Amino acid sequence: MSDDIEIGHEIPPLEIVVSGDDVRRYATVAQMPGQRFVSDEVARKEGLPGRILPGNMSMALLSRMLTEWLPEARLERLGVTFRGIVQPGKPLRCSGFVVDRREIADGVELECDVILEQGGERRTTGVAVLQLR
Amino acid sequence: MSDTLPFGIDQSLIGSEFDSSTSEPVTAEDIHEYAASLGETYAGYFGANPIAPPTFCMKFRGNRFSHPSIPADAFRRGFDAGKDIHFGVPIRPGDVVHTSNTLHEVYEKTGRSGSMVFVVSRQRMTNQRGETVATIDNRFMLRPKADA
Repeated sequence: MSDDIEIGHEIPPLEIVVSGDDVRRYATVAQMPGQRFVSDEVARKEGLPGRILPGNMSMALLSRMLTEWLPEARLERLGVTFRGIVQPGKPLRCSGFVVDRREIADGVELECDVILEQGGERRTTGVAVLQLR
Repeated sequence: MSDTLPFGIDQSLIGSEFDSSTSEPVTAEDIHEYAASLGETYAGYFGANPIAPPTFCMKFRGNRFSHPSIPADAFRRGFDAGKDIHFGVPIRPGDVVHTSNTLHEVYEKTGRSGSMVFVVSRQRMTNQRGETVATIDNRFMLRPKADA
C-alpha cells in the first residue's frame, strides 16, 4: 500500500455536514463546556454569527479523514492553525495531500498538508505526519 | 536583553508548571462515545478493548489552561490560534492520564491589524506506566489593551 503513495498523492476527502446536535454531542463527550458551541444566543453575544464548532472538533475531523485513508498508520503529529470559524449545518470539506515521504527504519513516514474548508474558505490548515510500518 | 515579556511576564516563568491533574481511569465507553461523536468508523475504536482516536487526548485539559500571570481579561480579546500535538502511545481502557501544563513560550508579532501576543501552553501527558501519551502545544493569540 505505502509503495503507491508518493509526494503529491491526494488524501480521499471527507465531506460532511456537522449538525448542531453533533456539536453538542462532541462538546459533551470531549468536555468542552463553552456555551458558544451549543447556543446561538450566547455565540451572538460574543460577536459570532451563531454557534460554532470547537477548534478541537475541526482537528479531530482532520484526524478522522487520516484514519479513514490509512487505518493501519500511526499518527505521529498533527499541528493546525485555526484561521476562521466553522459553523454547524453547513457543508465542510477536509482534504490533504502528501508533501514529503521519508524512509524510516522499518517503514515509511508521510508528511501531509491538511485543510478544512467551509464555504470555499480555508478555516483550518495544518500538517500531519503518519508512519506506516 | 529584557527579562520581561509581553503582559509584563517575567522571562523566568517560561517552563514553569502552572497546573497538573490526574484523570479518572478511561473506560471503553468513554472511547466509544468520543469516536461515535465524530462519526468514526474504524473498528479499532470500538469493541471491548478499543484504542482511543489520537485526538482523544485533547479531553484532558487540566484545571486551568493558562498561566496565572497572564491577565484573564486578555483572553476575552483573543482566540485559540492553533495546536500542535505529538502523539505517544495510544490511550486504552483502564489508563489514567496525568497532565502537566507549563508556560512554554510568549512572543509578540505585529501584523496589519496591529500587535498580537502569542502565548503557548504546553501539556505533557503520561499514562500510569509513565509512557508519553501526547505533548500538546496550545497557541493562544491575545491582543493587548488598546490603551496599553
